[in-house]
Amino acid sequence: MPLLTPLIGSQMVDLGSALLLLTCFAIVAQRRLSSCVDLFALQSVFLALTAALVAFLTGIHHIYIAAALTIVIKAVVIPRILKRVIERLNVKRELQMNVNVPTGLLICGALVILAFFITQPIIPLGFLLTRDSLAIALAIILIGFFMMIARKKAVTQVIGFLVMENGLFLGATAAAYGMPLIVELGVFFDVLVGVLIIGIYSHRMQDTFDSVDTSKLTTLKE
Amino acid sequence: MSWPLALLVAAPVMAGLGSLLVQQRRAIEVLQCALAGTLLAAAALVAGQVIAAGEVSVGDFLQADALSAWLDLIIGFVGSSGTFYAVGYMGEEMDRGHLSLRRYSQFFCLFDLYLSAMLLGVNQENIAIMWIAIEGSTLWAALLIGFDRSKAALEAGWKYIILSAVGIALALFGTILVYYSSEHVLGVSSEALRWSRLYRVAGELDPAAIKVAFIFALIGYGTKAGVAPMHTWLPDAHAESPTPMSAMLSANMLTVAVYAILRFKAVTDRTVGPEFAGKLIVGLALLSLAVSAIFLLVQRDYKRLFAYSSIEHIGIALLGFGVGGLGVFGGAWHLMNHALAKSTAFYGAGLVFLRYNHKSLDRVTGLLRQMPVAGTAILVAGVALAGMPPFGLFTSEVLIAIGAYRVKPEVTYVFLALLALAFVTLLYQVLRMTLGAPGEAGTALGRQCRIFTSAAVGINIIALGTIGLHVPPGLEALLASIVKIFGGGIEAPR
Repeated sequence: MPLLTPLIGSQMVDLGSALLLLTCFAIVAQRRLSSCVDLFALQSVFLALTAALVAFLTGIHHIYIAAALTIVIKAVVIPRILKRVIERLNVKRELQMNVNVPTGLLICGALVILAFFITQPIIPLGFLLTRDSLAIALAIILIGFFMMIARKKAVTQVIGFLVMENGLFLGATAAAYGMPLIVELGVFFDVLVGVLIIGIYSHRMQDTFDSVDTSKLTTLKE
Repeated sequence: MSWPLALLVAAPVMAGLGSLLVQQRRAIEVLQCALAGTLLAAAALVAGQVIAAGEVSVGDFLQADALSAWLDLIIGFVGSSGTFYAVGYMGEEMDRGHLSLRRYSQFFCLFDLYLSAMLLGVNQENIAIMWIAIEGSTLWAALLIGFDRSKAALEAGWKYIILSAVGIALALFGTILVYYSSEHVLGVSSEALRWSRLYRVAGELDPAAIKVAFIFALIGYGTKAGVAPMHTWLPDAHAESPTPMSAMLSANMLTVAVYAILRFKAVTDRTVGPEFAGKLIVGLALLSLAVSAIFLLVQRDYKRLFAYSSIEHIGIALLGFGVGGLGVFGGAWHLMNHALAKSTAFYGAGLVFLRYNHKSLDRVTGLLRQMPVAGTAILVAGVALAGMPPFGLFTSEVLIAIGAYRVKPEVTYVFLALLALAFVTLLYQVLRMTLGAPGEAGTALGRQCRIFTSAAVGINIIALGTIGLHVPPGLEALLASIVKIFGGGIEAPR
């Protein structure tokens, strides 16, 4: 394929990873809950495209399967489950945060720098095609982590967890050309069951506390 | 092909799904008792095979070496007595009308799936499948912790699932980093994720990548092991989950998380030398000891008291593995004895809760006179957990102290000081709970509950006493092989 030299290929993978990172920032800046879910679905589509690109450039076929599963589970099934939970719980109002949006974005910027700093010594080890994506993957994981801390509503903490999961998937695909297929399948299964369980929990919380605001969970304190 | 190993992992799945399907109390009881027996026998057989052959496997799916067999013994034994206990405990809840038959069978299904996930995790050479299994056990555990659906239980369950999700995600990143560095040596395939292969080529792996991977794995699995400062979910989860589950969390799940850390440590040690991982582990272990020793002082809830004691003991075991050599022997010994003693303590605590329906430490006195079984369980386990002879925890703590002294005397001084503080608090509270005149009357327990829970307490105490003063020869062989995994060439102490 004369059109796709390794250099262009690697830049396209970088572009895909950068788009993933960009959607992270968009989720942090977004205040409407259902838009957060849409943005997560969009991020999953970018993830699948990046993975498919890696599969095409390297000729490793099982990455296609993982990319297809990403579309089905993370871009369609999980957003649907989350939207249903949101509708049931009636939490469409603006998101409450522990940190306001500008501060949140600044912190995320710092996290990206931190991610590049941590991965600096190990990046030269990677495959030429995808080596820069490892730092971006770690940045996405850290931002997901931050979302879980910064947001109060149960459903947004779940989105933080899923963003972390997307970062991990990018890390595995980009840095290591995908984990073996059996592992990818297992991870997908765990994520799906995890989201279902979290859905069950927020449902019970609504029944018991009449709210899914996790800052009301304060009985158990030392 | 080792059929006991296959049986060990598959039996809980079958019993769990069976319990969900039959929806009939007597049938579930029979099924669970059969499972308890199977677990015990299969774990013992696997350990025997490993002692004879070094390692056993079931095709490509399951592999067990000495460290896996050690964990099989712990999970198999405590899982077995825990199943007995759960039959008594949940049966009593049902007799009192707190539980429908549907929820009763759901509990056992989740409980068994949880045991199976842990057994799959430890009998698995592939580090990524180990991760999937441990994550699976986290998910089942989350449903079990919130099983009561009270406000406090939901809060504890939520805290647990969020913190574990973060922890386990970081652990997966560590796993990916190991693969990232090993696939250059072993090729892009599942082979690059296997312990035995990783041990062999560890010298050729990239040191920087392995260091970063270890840090992520330590924080990730450390969260699940309740290592300070990531321990905040632990006391809530232990206090709020149904008591059979509290016992399993403490005895099995924390131990499995420590196991995962150890697997990463073994690779890291071979790549960058034992200093790096050892120092990090010793630091976190001492922090856990300090946090638990202080928080033990202020506890007003007996289940939380035992929960903080778990943080302490996991810290002690990790300290042993961190210092290496003699400490590895002590650490592995400590894990087994702690699992037995702590599950016994929770069995007692659960009976107290069933009787008084509160968890207030101050209002419980004179247990020995009013509830001989619960009183004995708490007294024996409490004395063992405080670290008094003639129990194994005394031996292991001495071994770890000696191991630490050889490496760094200052560590031993801090260790012993914190140990003394925890010793005094725990022993005082346990003696106060068990001796003296009984307080309130409470609700008497049903006959069936008494039979099953007494059996669980009995076999635990017998095992704890038997292995207390000397290490049986079979276990000694296993311990010697475990020490070899960590590269220490010390001879087993007598």
